[in-house]
Amino acid sequence: MSALAAACQLAALFVMPTIVVFAINRTKAIWSGRRGQPLMQFAYDVIRLLRKVPVYSDVTTMVFRLAPYVVVATAVVSGLLVPVLGLSSPFGFPFDFVAFAYVWGLGRMALMLGALDTGSSFEGMGASREATFSALLEPAFILVTGAACLLTGQRSFASVLALRPTDGVLAVVWLASLVALFVVVQVESARMPVDDPTTHLELTMVHEVMILDHSGADLAALHVGSAVKLTVGLSLIAALLNPFVGGASAVVVGAANLGLTILLGVAIGTVESLIARLKLRAVPQYIVVALVAAGVALLATTFRTGGAG
Amino acid sequence: MIGVVLACAVLIAGAILALALPRNGLRAAAAISSQALACLLTISPLVGVLRSGTAMEGSWAWSYPVEIVALRVDALSAFFLVWSLPMTLLGTVYAVGYLKPYFTAGRNGGPQFALLNMTSLAFLMVYSVQNALVFLLGWEIAAVAAWLMVIWDYRNQKVRFAGFNYLVSTHLGLFVLVAAFMLLYAESGSMDFRSFGVVLAKPGRLRSAAFLLLGVSFALKSAFFPFHAWLPRAHSAAPAHVSALMSGVIHKAGLFAFLRFMLLLGKPDEWMGWAVLVFGASSAFFGVLYTSAQRDLKRLLGYSSTENVGIAAMGFGLGLLGMAWGSPGLVAAGFGGGLLHLFNHALFKCLLFYAAGAVYRATHTVDLERLGGLLRRLPRAGWLFLLGAAAISALPPLNGFVSELIIYSGLLSGAAPSAPANAALVTSSALLAFVGAVSALSMVRAFGVAFLGRPRDASVHVSAPTPPWMTAPMYLHAAGIVLVGLYPGAGLVVTRAATSLFTIAGVPAADTSFAALLGPVQTGVRVLVAVTLIASVVGLYLGRRARRHVTWGCGYTATNSRMQYTASSFSAQFTGLFEAFLPQLRREHVSREIFPAEPGHIGTHHVDAVERRMFEVLGQGEEIITNASNRIPEQPRFAFAAGLLALVIAVGLLIGAAR
Repeated sequence: MSALAAACQLAALFVMPTIVVFAINRTKAIWSGRRGQPLMQFAYDVIRLLRKVPVYSDVTTMVFRLAPYVVVATAVVSGLLVPVLGLSSPFGFPFDFVAFAYVWGLGRMALMLGALDTGSSFEGMGASREATFSALLEPAFILVTGAACLLTGQRSFASVLALRPTDGVLAVVWLASLVALFVVVQVESARMPVDDPTTHLELTMVHEVMILDHSGADLAALHVGSAVKLTVGLSLIAALLNPFVGGASAVVVGAANLGLTILLGVAIGTVESLIARLKLRAVPQYIVVALVAAGVALLATTFRTGGAG
Repeated sequence: MIGVVLACAVLIAGAILALALPRNGLRAAAAISSQALACLLTISPLVGVLRSGTAMEGSWAWSYPVEIVALRVDALSAFFLVWSLPMTLLGTVYAVGYLKPYFTAGRNGGPQFALLNMTSLAFLMVYSVQNALVFLLGWEIAAVAAWLMVIWDYRNQKVRFAGFNYLVSTHLGLFVLVAAFMLLYAESGSMDFRSFGVVLAKPGRLRSAAFLLLGVSFALKSAFFPFHAWLPRAHSAAPAHVSALMSGVIHKAGLFAFLRFMLLLGKPDEWMGWAVLVFGASSAFFGVLYTSAQRDLKRLLGYSSTENVGIAAMGFGLGLLGMAWGSPGLVAAGFGGGLLHLFNHALFKCLLFYAAGAVYRATHTVDLERLGGLLRRLPRAGWLFLLGAAAISALPPLNGFVSELIIYSGLLSGAAPSAPANAALVTSSALLAFVGAVSALSMVRAFGVAFLGRPRDASVHVSAPTPPWMTAPMYLHAAGIVLVGLYPGAGLVVTRAATSLFTIAGVPAADTSFAALLGPVQTGVRVLVAVTLIASVVGLYLGRRARRHVTWGCGYTATNSRMQYTASSFSAQFTGLFEAFLPQLRREHVSREIFPAEPGHIGTHHVDAVERRMFEVLGQGEEIITNASNRIPEQPRFAFAAGLLALVIAVGLLIGAAR
């Protein structure tokens, strides 16, 4: 059973990024009155890039060449820990969410070093922003998952599955966790209103500017890495939203979770179509929203567990 | 026990030889061989203690006033000794390569090597004696030896100032320690630690006072915030091997002494645990904030040791809380994680300082703004620095991740007896996450600016590659980092016996091997390494026919290396967010004309808030009261004075009521 679950999770990690990217892009196209890309566009792009010969700057070292592959490896490994199918991950272990945060941290470090290796001031700018935002994001993530742990008595991502809005206080925790995780995923995967994945105005970008100099297979690896990261983050939120968790059969839960992940992709696309990018100075304040929401979740948790015990 | 005493004799003999022999090569050989012999003599008894957990005891008659020196090497002492001595030996080996240019200029290296031997001797004394007077003797040997090693380059006025600053600070700590010992002696009538333990175990005001005095003294030794002001100066002034040993090994003595007295104390009060946890957390927070703003690579690493002892102290605070609450899981996670973090910190901090030393040797500067592109010129030091940087940022698959994960597992376990206490522990785990992320920022900044990109300053010349005397110790430290990262059990072998000393009477101890926690982590870490390796090999294969070109300048073709992002610009946005804690000095001479005729300049510099405030207070003398009262607006001054008076009365009443 667990082997089957593991195989399903790997399959989902393989297939879902293409679908999620398609969902976002198609949503944005519809909002702006275009037809949009075909379903497999992301896969075509990756295959096209893989066939190209990369170009390396004279300034760069091995750090630049290895960075994309560390990014893609950390994204895939982080996907093994999260309940992508809304079922406890077969690869999960106690405190896997801490490991998850630090695995993402490793990928981020590789990305930033790859950017600094080019000696381009634009890429340095992007790396600096990424480092600043992540310093504010990590505590929000640990705070919200830690609160869920206290509340549910689980010690891993399973706590996210056990957290359900069954009464007033739980609903507060649930909603606050949802808000905090959504902001974390938005910032981590460089979506609006924090970062614009389509702009080519280097001065205002975060993620896109760090990959300016990558080409060919390296660029493909970076695209795959960020798509997997986005999928993993959205599936975590989907697991929090999934109404079938605990009640229905595994197949229903899994299907619902994948469906919700795609729907969240639609939500991201909608947000991106309707909202303008924040000023860079306002981004830390936006991240503070996640911190505050996480703090609310922790306070409500304390209120609840204190009342019970 | 005989091995430890013999090792002391060997070290003293080595020090004398190092002073007496005629050539620097022979002096180095005397120091290295005597330290190696001391390591060999002590290693098997220490491993025996770590394996069995039973202490070695011995005593030695000495003349008045000490009379009998009781020696006792228990698992805690053995844990500290088993890595302190070999790491000092590695530092001595590194010194041979690092000091080479001074030797060729005719400088006598004898005193330096003798002092390195004396440092090892001080470890043997401090970690094993049970008599307060002899303990203080060892404590002083370590402090004075460190001071003399710091001022190796004594012709430089800045170095002398840093040295005196250190000497004064460390002796302030000594006064507090002596006060604590006098307090305990007055009550027990003996200088023996065991009789101190009898006094400390009795709950009451005396125990609390002694706890606070000892805590402050050991915090000064280990450079906790706000007692850290001497540290960045000393670390940037000292030769690289001295900075490495001070930060990685010598200052751990403060935490050792703290743990030693915690063992004597027995069951701690709950407030002690909270005090240590909060103190450690604030040290980690402020330490890491300061790392993000430093220009000097060695200062940056110095602040990072304030951060890392803070992280270890968070673990110890958690463990003390566990003892107070009777929760064996917290005791094991707190002390186990904290001790492992100390060991890990010694591994990666020495490596980072050694790599910084290699940079200094090659370029004669550690100013980040002048460096750049060093990875091509100093590949060994560069890659090793990167390894240490990833480890210190607690990233998997390296050792820092293991120890921090153990501390996280305690903080997030929900084992505290009340809901607010649990919430406080979860909040401190979020702070630990912040510290980890900022540490990653600082390390990306340090490595990225110094080693990647292009050289920023044409006047910096990179001389010959790093000599093997310097790279060999670095490789050994790097091997330790990778080993503990991939096989967490290897690190726990060292810490396990010491962790088991911290028990709660009447409650069975928790599993100190953390099998349930670390088993899957070990598998996960290997999966991560395997996936990364496979992806990298595929990637390098796909990129084999790559073409070379310039970095894309986004359409701008006249870029030069001065336009690269600098260290200051990298951290500007982050330090801006924490401006309140990171005061920035700004010197500028800029003309405001539209077409300036004269060239202008702007310089920014982040200073230490604590040091600045301290000197400000000292400089103002008694005027400070006048100045402070001037700062209060005229109208509510009366109200302010009345409020102050009310506060004084309230405090007096409270103290009276407590009697």
